[in-house]
Amino acid sequence: MADFSQLREAVLTGNAPAAVAAARQALDAGVDPVELVNQAISPAMEEVGRLYEAGEYFVPELLLAARATKEVFQLIRPLLAQKDIPPAARVVLGTVQGDLHDIGKNLVGAMLEGGGFEVIDLGVNVPPEKFILAVEEKQAQIVGLSALLTTTMPAMKKTLDVFRTAGIRGRIKVMIGGAPITQSYADSIGADAYGENAAAAVAIARKLAGR
Amino acid sequence: MSPARNDPKHVTGADRIPPAGETLPRLTIALQVADILRSLGYPREATPPARVVRSTEKILAEARPWLQPRGTYSLYAVTRQTAHSLEIGGATIAGNIGEFLHGADRIAVFMVTAGSEITRRAEACSRAGDAFAGLALDAIGSWAAEAAAEALMEQLNSQLRPGESFTMRYSPGYCGMNLRQQRTLFKLAPAKSVGISLLPSLLMQPLKSISGIVGLGPREIVGIHLSPCERCPQVGCHMRR
Ligand code: B1M
Repeated sequence: MADFSQLREAVLTGNAPAAVAAARQALDAGVDPVELVNQAISPAMEEVGRLYEAGEYFVPELLLAARATKEVFQLIRPLLAQKDIPPAARVVLGTVQGDLHDIGKNLVGAMLEGGGFEVIDLGVNVPPEKFILAVEEKQAQIVGLSALLTTTMPAMKKTLDVFRTAGIRGRIKVMIGGAPITQSYADSIGADAYGENAAAAVAIARKLAGR
Repeated sequence: MSPARNDPKHVTGADRIPPAGETLPRLTIALQVADILRSLGYPREATPPARVVRSTEKILAEARPWLQPRGTYSLYAVTRQTAHSLEIGGATIAGNIGEFLHGADRIAVFMVTAGSEITRRAEACSRAGDAFAGLALDAIGSWAAEAAAEALMEQLNSQLRPGESFTMRYSPGYCGMNLRQQRTLFKLAPAKSVGISLLPSLLMQPLKSISGIVGLGPREIVGIHLSPCERCPQVGCHMRR
């Protein structure tokens, strides 16, 4: 088995140029890109998540590690496509209508990209119809909704209602999150999952995508 | 008299106390890298990686000109106060009034903001794929809004009479004061004079803004209070004091 220690270290320390260099070296030496993901990138990101849960890493370290893996994924994606390996699940992400908060959603997006997902970020104040258009156009499997205030979270329920009326609810999994959101709120509006923070969101998205 | 004195037309003058309040177009705030690191989630006792500290220092230096800390307040006499309601300027504010404002005979209704430029810059960084810089700029904006509230309190010191003190600050959306009360606060203070508006979702724009009330009264009655965080159910909050 190839030695991935340099790549692993580069991801753990959030050193994107070093991660890309180590990945390129491995690929040039004939390492299979799928093996690179399964043996190096995924375990390294799992370790980053574990360190975060243990309180040894904080959000900035998560983001730097995610940036490093995102750049490695950019290198690998065309190679996977050549081998007819389907792309990672696509996630349409946005802050619901009436809410302008960007940052929590951005962190979730950055972590998902670092986890190998393709993220279509629709920004803030996103009406339900815009989510539907993006799901159709990009054939997305997951929709992520974010909100920061108790007065804007009802727009999540409305968004889900519009998904149902439009007939797309059965085709997608919906994850919601943001400061006022709880698991019981997610259950009450019929969302598939609640993400407490950006690191948790990646693990949940994996489950939702069946990976 | 300062030309910046406000005079919101929608409030009856009867209970306003001269000077009615003040609009402070430029508040002086002090931001330290250590504060921003805390906003980024590092507890006081943590040692952030040198790389993170260096980047934060650089981003903070660059961000200073993008901060536009401004504030305004209007001062009212309390006409009626119960455990759960407060009457000032002909308006009623509902919430855990007794717990936060007990003993106050005057109330300052305030609004502060760090301006919108910092949020624009944060969004631009995030869109360009630099999530860390986006987060750091966002944290700087949050901290600047908090610092603007502190700076406004300093200005309010001039309204204290001998032997008086402030109560805790209390804001819509916190601890039993419904966000709907934003509408009342926006009638009582000239938010527009510092560029703050209230959206139908009760969100303020610029995002890095704070609204609230604070009481003034005899020190021996209002002066003893815990941190507001002691009352907050968000126990996992990284900003807990
Ligand atoms: C798709 O799947 C997913 C999965 C996970 C998802 C997800 C989607 N979306 C988010 N997540 C999750 O992952 C992200 C990363 O880990 C996280 O995203 P967040 O967006 O939550 O996290 C950010 C990255 C960092 N977090 C933050 O930036 C918010 C932190 C806290 C402390 C906070 C801050 C910093 C601020 N605030 Co205020 N603020 C609070 C917050 C309490 C808390 N601990 O959350 C909260 C949100 N604020 C509150 C309030 C009331 C207010 N704030 C206000 C002001 C401010 C500051 C300006 C001081 C500052 C910045 C605000 C801003 N939005 O930019 C006011 C509103 C401002 C406005 N524009 O209208 C004001 C209304 C107070 C006032 N009257 O002035 C409370 C809301 C309660 C409610 N009723 O809705 C609040 C929960 C605090 C509390 N103790 O109650 C997770 O939620």
